[in-house]
Amino acid sequence: MNETGQKSTQPAGDARAAVASGIVSQFSAAGVGLVGSLPDNWIAQVIDACNETPDLRHVPVNREESAVGLCSGAFFGGTRSLALMGASGVMTIIYAVTKISYTYEVPLPIVATLRGAPGDGHKHHVSNGLYLLPVLDAIDMTYVIVDRAEKLGEIATAIEHSYLISRPVCILLTRGLLRGEA
Amino acid sequence: MAIPFRTCFEYLADRWTDELVVTSAGNTGQMWWDVTKNAEQVFYLDASMSLSTLFASGIAMGIPERQVWAFMGDGAFCMNPGMLMVERDLNLPNLTHFLVSNRVYGATSNAPLPNQVENDYGAVARSMGLSRVFTFTSLDELDSGFDAVSRPNKDGHTFVVLEVEPITGPDAKLEVMPIDGPEMKFRFGRYVERTTGKKIFSDQI
Repeated sequence: MNETGQKSTQPAGDARAAVASGIVSQFSAAGVGLVGSLPDNWIAQVIDACNETPDLRHVPVNREESAVGLCSGAFFGGTRSLALMGASGVMTIIYAVTKISYTYEVPLPIVATLRGAPGDGHKHHVSNGLYLLPVLDAIDMTYVIVDRAEKLGEIATAIEHSYLISRPVCILLTRGLLRGEA
Repeated sequence: MAIPFRTCFEYLADRWTDELVVTSAGNTGQMWWDVTKNAEQVFYLDASMSLSTLFASGIAMGIPERQVWAFMGDGAFCMNPGMLMVERDLNLPNLTHFLVSNRVYGATSNAPLPNQVENDYGAVARSMGLSRVFTFTSLDELDSGFDAVSRPNKDGHTFVVLEVEPITGPDAKLEVMPIDGPEMKFRFGRYVERTTGKKIFSDQI
């Protein structure tokens, strides 16, 4: 359905791909040249879009912490980067971001899914719905929730903010946005 | 057979020229600081828990004209051996991963590693497709093989296992490099800017 309540004529796959492309365009607009990722179903098309974007190096990692290490080092190689992952990944990187990003004051944009929110049909993400945002609050990590296509511009702004404050900033993408429904 | 820890690091420090160096938490960082007292060309990545070589990979990707040495203890390696999958994918010819193997958690009272005796780190690396894999168990071996180690290879990065003795005695109480995180960031970053022309702070922040 579109904003006026009429059924969209755009095929769902095209809508998802368009959003994924729009998200990755924001990465490029913010000068990101490297993305370290570990997949989540919701961001599969974002990863595809990264692979298809010239001047953007995509590096699949073995675990989310590895993306924190790689991207933190990339800063010292003069390359803007970000870590792309699911919500569960964010829950696993708390040690790495507090020890590396916080201790050395290294920027790190983190783009993640807002799993466990209403509408997510997977019961195993309940804990993310309950605890992800409180955990980010507990470690004073700035985050933004991007839940509509009209708000995609906030992604580049949040990436810039991470470099401005020399700390991680988490950019959380909702299910509706990633499905091209919002 | 194993190389005395300090002897190994004194040898490497003696062969060190303009490589950028990343150390990991505990013994490797403390010993490198003790034998070099260098706080510009080295990033002492304390409490990195297996991430020092990927951190170094990020640097090496951005500065392909500079060699990067990354140290990691085998305690950290055991936490995340899958890092080698990423390193193999990247296959950076300017990265040398020194795995400092003393078979113990050196920073925590030399507590033994799991599967302490049997771990074959060179075999792990080869199983992930790495070809430039070296293992040294004596100073003579290290000395005779070092030229091959330090020769960059266009086909990929280098993985070096240094079998060393656990640190005991006075060296077990070496000073931790006395610089806080932000100063470390700026010292190392400014050094990279000055010696490579890369814009780290002025363009990114």
